[in-house]
Parts: sequence; C-alpha cells; structure tokens
Amino acid sequence: MPNTQAVRIDPKTGTLIRQGVPSIINPPDLAAVELALRLRDQYGGEVIAVTMGPPPALKGLEHLIGMGVDYGYMFSDRAFAGADTLATSYVLSEGIKYIERERGRVDLALFGQETIDSSTAHIGAQVASWLQWPYVYYVRKAAISDGRLVVERTVENYIETYELPLPAVASVAIRAFKPREVTLSGKLRFKRERPYKIVSNKDLGLDPRCVGLKGSPTIVAKVTYLPEIPRRAEVYRPRDPRDGARWLLRKLLTDSETRDLILKALWGG
Amino acid sequence: MGRVDCEKICSLWPCEQPEEFRNVWVVAELDERGISEASLQMLTPARRIADKLGEDVVGVIAGPPGASRLAGEMIERGADEVIVVEHERLSEYYPDVVGSVIVELSLKYKPSVILFAATARGREMAPYVANTLKTGITADCTDFDVDPKTKDVLLIRPPFSAIMLAYIRTPFRRPQIGTARPNVFPLPERRQERQGRIVREEVEPPEPMTRLVNRVKIPRSEVPIEKAEVIVSGGRGLGSPEGFRILEELAQLLGGVIAGSRKAVDAGWIPPERQVGQTGKSVKPILYIAVGISGSAQHMVGVREARRIVAVNIDENAPIMRQADYALVADYREVIPALIEELRRLKEE
Ligand SMILES: Cc1cc2nc3c(=O)[nH]c(=O)nc-3n(C[C@H](O)[C@H](O)[C@H](O)COP(=O)(O)OP(=O)(O)OC[C@H]3O[C@@H](n4cnc5c(N)ncnc54)[C@H](O)[C@@H]3O)c2cc1C
Ligand SMILES: Cc1cc2nc3c(=O)[nH]c(=O)nc-3n(C[C@H](O)[C@H](O)[C@H](O)COP(=O)(O)OP(=O)(O)OC[C@H]3O[C@@H](n4cnc5c(N)ncnc54)[C@H](O)[C@@H]3O)c2cc1C
Repeated sequence: MPNTQAVRIDPKTGTLIRQGVPSIINPPDLAAVELALRLRDQYGGEVIAVTMGPPPALKGLEHLIGMGVDYGYMFSDRAFAGADTLATSYVLSEGIKYIERERGRVDLALFGQETIDSSTAHIGAQVASWLQWPYVYYVRKAAISDGRLVVERTVENYIETYELPLPAVASVAIRAFKPREVTLSGKLRFKRERPYKIVSNKDLGLDPRCVGLKGSPTIVAKVTYLPEIPRRAEVYRPRDPRDGARWLLRKLLTDSETRDLILKALWGG
Repeated sequence: MGRVDCEKICSLWPCEQPEEFRNVWVVAELDERGISEASLQMLTPARRIADKLGEDVVGVIAGPPGASRLAGEMIERGADEVIVVEHERLSEYYPDVVGSVIVELSLKYKPSVILFAATARGREMAPYVANTLKTGITADCTDFDVDPKTKDVLLIRPPFSAIMLAYIRTPFRRPQIGTARPNVFPLPERRQERQGRIVREEVEPPEPMTRLVNRVKIPRSEVPIEKAEVIVSGGRGLGSPEGFRILEELAQLLGGVIAGSRKAVDAGWIPPERQVGQTGKSVKPILYIAVGISGSAQHMVGVREARRIVAVNIDENAPIMRQADYALVADYREVIPALIEELRRLKEE
C-alpha cells in the first residue's frame, strides 16, 4: 500500500495521488504474516504472501520473503486500478483459486485486521463470502488441532474461542504478534531465487467488468474538507502552576456547560 | 434515477434497477441487554435518509425465539416497521449465519439502504452481507445525504487524513450499505406514543460452519470511555506510564475516566480499548482534558462531539491549542498536581 502518512487525495477524481509516495507494507498485516510463519514453523507447510497492487508492491514481497515467507504472488494489472473493496476482494479470492491450481490446497487465508489507509476491515469477510469459507476476525491466538483451526479473540468485553474447519479465513488483531526481523539469508533468497510470481488479469482470466474501477459498485463522488467545530481557543500562559490551575477552574465554573459537572464532582449530588 | 445498462455491469452482479428498491433498514445487533445502543443510534441517520427519500425506516431483528419483544423499542426510537426473524440457530451470533438471514430478507424486500453499527461484530458481519449481495459498502460513515437528482444516498466518510471527507455513491447497485462507528450519531429519543408494524418472517438460517467453544467475560469495573462524562486523556507528552497515575487521580476527583492518544497506546501506557480517535473510539464527554497530546487530525476527529475541550501542553504552538476551548501552556507535571491540589482544597471548604 502507499505510505498513508504521505498520501494525498486528488480532489477532482477522488483517487489517491500515488506519485512520489513510497510503498510500505500495511503495518497490521505484519502481525498476520508473523502468525502465518509461526503456524508453519509449528505444523509445517508453506507460507505464501499475496498482494494486489501496482509494481512498487514488489518491495513489500521482498520484505516478507526476507522475513521467511516461502513464496509471493503479486496480482498486478492496469485493469485492477481503482478497485473498491468488492473488486479487490474478488481479485484476491480468484487469486487464491489460482494459487491452489499452481501450488495445491490453501488451508488458511490470513488478513491484517484492517489497513491504516481506508481501514474498512471489509476484505477478510468479503473474501470469505466469495470463497464460501468460514471466517473469524480479531484473532490473537491460533492453533491447529485435528485438522481444525482453534482461535482466541477479544470482542468488546469477551474473550471467545472458536473452532473452524479448514480451509478458513481469519483476520489478525492489531499488535497481536510482534513481527520478526528480515534476515540476511532471506534477503539473499529473494535476490537469488526470485521466489515470487507476477500475475496479470490475462493469466487470471476475469471479466474486465468485474475488476478495478468498473467492478466497483462504490465510487468516490467528491472529496471536501471536514468542517471545523468552532471552539473558544482561550489560551493562557500561567505565571506558576497554581495560577494555571485556578484560571482553569474559574473558567470551568463560569461556563454553563461544565459548571454543574465540576460542582457535582466537588460536592457530590 | 438513471437506468442500469445490464450489458455494462459485472456479469456476477444481478442486474436490477434502483427504482425497484425502497426503504432504509437498520440491522439490530443483539447483546446481553437487548439491542445494542450502537445499532439503535443508527435509527438517527436512517430517519433522516428515509425522510429525504420519502420512504420508511425498517428495523431488522434476527435473533432467538422471543427476540420480537425487542421490536417495540426500535419503533419507539423511530422505525416505522420492524421485520423479525426468530430461530433457535440465531441464539449464538455467527457473522455468516446472521448475515445470511439479512441477505435472504434483503432479496425478498429489496431495501434501498441498509445501515449497520460498526461495532466489532458489525464490522465483521456487514461486509459479508454486502459481498453476498454483490453490492457496495462504505465503512465508518460520519454523515449521510441524498442526491436530490439521482436519489442516490451519499455515504460520507473521512479517509486517512481525517480532515478530508469522501462522498461515496453506489449508483448501479442496491442496496446501498453503510456502517458508522458507535457514538457518531446520537441515540434517538424513545417516544412511547410512536406506532409501527411488526412483521414476522420465517427464514431458515444456515448451519454455522464455525463453532463457539468458549466465551469468558472480561471483568471490567471502569466505565468505558464512550460512556464517560469526563475524560482525562494522555499522549506521548506524558513521557512515561507513570504520567497516567497523575491523570488517574485527576479523573477520579472529577468523576471521570482516563483515555489516551494512539501514541500512548503504541507505547503500551494504556490499553487499546481506551484509544480516542480515527482508529480508536469516538467519545462524547461533557469535558475532555487532553494532556500532552498535540492534536493531530486523527485524534481530534474522535472528540468532535465533546462539549468542552481543555488542553494542557508545554508548546503554545501545538495544533490542539487552537482546537480547545481552554488551553494551558504549561508542563503537565506541575500544573496537573496543582489542579488536583486546588480541587482537593475546594472540596474540603
Ligand atoms: C477516500 C477513500 C475512501 C474509501 N472508502 C471505501 C469504502 O468505504 N468502501 C469500499 O469498498 N472501498 C473504499 N475505498 C477503496 C479501498 O480503499 C480500496 O478498495 C482498498 O484496496 C481496500 O483496502 P481497505 O483499506 O479497505 O482494506 P481492509 O479491508 O481494511 O484490509 C484488511 C486486510 O485485507 C488485506 N488487503 C487489503 N487490500 C489488499 C490488497 N490490495 N492486496 C492484498 N491484501 C489486501 C490486508 O491484509 C489488510 O490488512 C476507499 C478509497 C478511498 C480513496
Ligand atoms: C491512519 C491513521 C490513523 C490514526 N489514528 C489515530 C487515532 O485513532 N488516535 C490518535 O490519537 N492518533 C491516531 N493517529 C496518529 C496521529 O497522527 C498522531 O501521531 C498521534 O495522535 C500523536 O499522538 P500524541 O499527540 O500523543 O503525540 P505527539 O504528537 O508526539 O504530541 C505530544 C505532545 O505532548 C506535548 N508535551 C511534551 N511534553 C509535555 C509536558 N511535559 N507537558 C505537557 N505537554 C507536553 C508536546 O508539546 C506535544 O504537543 C493516526 C495516524 C494515522 C496515519
């Protein structure tokens, strides 16, 4: 994904201005990669990283393979540009089927909890809907037992344990797993073996009306600035801490919005 | 309203005309108390959209036998009609099981809009529903409007920069689906005299593929930040987790709770469920005291509904100083203890 700290939206088209913006891996996705690597280290198998994006996304695969991911797929085509979450999830789920044709059965598709740009958290559930696989969000612990996925997650005030038949989709809670570092041998493996494949829409063979901008039911009609809420903006530079405390209390006690609240806190009610 | 050219749209989408769809749905999320407050809040924008479209607000309840007793509250808070599905298999929430019921109902009744609360569960279920219907979904809306010409709903949401708003349309597909975070919209008043229809539907939910093995309640004594009247919030400027002990003392004196910026959460000084802002929670206290917080757009978007904002910052030029009602240019390590002392002194008087 583009580095969102630097990204801007084109006010005319409502799309991202990606020029000159460095590509980074969505940070929450690293937790998902870390979980995938741990599951592989414990139970065997292969970890495959999947991305849909323009050519700079290859940098991301380089990083992930450096961390120890076995193989990468990049679904990249001009036809995929401008995708909303429905069209993105369609390519990703067809991508999973493509990978199954090339490398055998996929048991588990892991996602980050959400991206830090549009942070919709849609993609995991949408991929599950396309593939008709069971799914669960916000995973903090995971194990495989008797060919089933057992996960623990936290929602609101509950810790829940779920069991899912494989294949399944799961999203991993933000910060749940601390990602490992890139190793030198991993970096070298990327350079020497090129353990990745770039796949175009010709390879996937999807109806061009179903991908990218054309396959996106939502369109950004316009972008504007959020109106500011007017605030009093009374700034005070106190002589000493006590003066500051008294100034603030005086303000809060003479302001009809906060007066009762402060009185209640002081003398109960 | 334009006609959809069936040749032009994706072959996987059913081709339907927008004018076949009517009414604004609110899907009720059930919790141990009944309908979650966050989903009842969605009746506020639903009412506004429906009035602009000249259509009805319809509540949808998919729950265990007996769930129909909850329909009255949706009517009293603004629904004209409530569709209820009761089934043993809906006693446990599974996003795909409840989601499939909503999909079935939507195929039958063809609503033009479906709104979900973007709670943890709502965020898990709503995209499943949208995708199964092959329609668009807009996450975390902060406002809605209706384009008077096309009758499309404009789903308005802040993208990453938090100061920009994107107006999103779903021109070729129905229903138009949107979610909003808890507390972005107020809870509509409960008016006992409001009348509405209750419609019972028979839908056979699918067998769950997933199995809930165990659920443990996390004991939490503190008031959640989204319900607090006073919030004392700390940022990276606190410099260490000990800073939060001083804030805690102030919060207790004021009958409030503590919260933090994302930097404070990232540092591990305060748990993630107490993060305020774009990727945390929206709060609506009467008084929000921001200590050592610079006032980034992503933080401030979470306190738009705060009645009064106080800032304590050593930097007079920090952006928060212009976005607060009362701002103290001071080192918090000095001024917060002084404030605590003043409050104690007044209390004793
Ligand atoms: C201003 C603006 C607002 C937008 N709002 C919406 C909206 O409300 N609804 C909508 O449908 N679209 C929206 N979009 C489009 C959306 O940003 C893109 O479709 C994007 O590709 C999907 O990413 P996400 O941030 O929604 O993903 P999320 O669902 O938040 O991502 C969850 C996980 O899915 C995986 N994932 C996501 N994208 C990819 C990918 N390309 N390759 C591999 N894995 C991936 C990652 O593991 C990620 O952590 C918006 C775009 C803009 C510019
Ligand atoms: C997509 C995205 C989503 C985000 N979501 C959120 C979100 O939900 N919530 C959120 O908070 N942030 C969010 N952020 C991060 C946000 O951009 C800021 O980085 C963050 O809010 C800054 O936190 P802060 O104010 O605590 O720290 P800083 O910006 O580092 O500010 C620290 C402040 O403390 C002051 N200070 C230092 N010492 C003292 C002292 N002794 N006494 C008093 N004041 C002192 C400094 O002058 C400074 O103003 C998001 C960012 C992105 C890109």
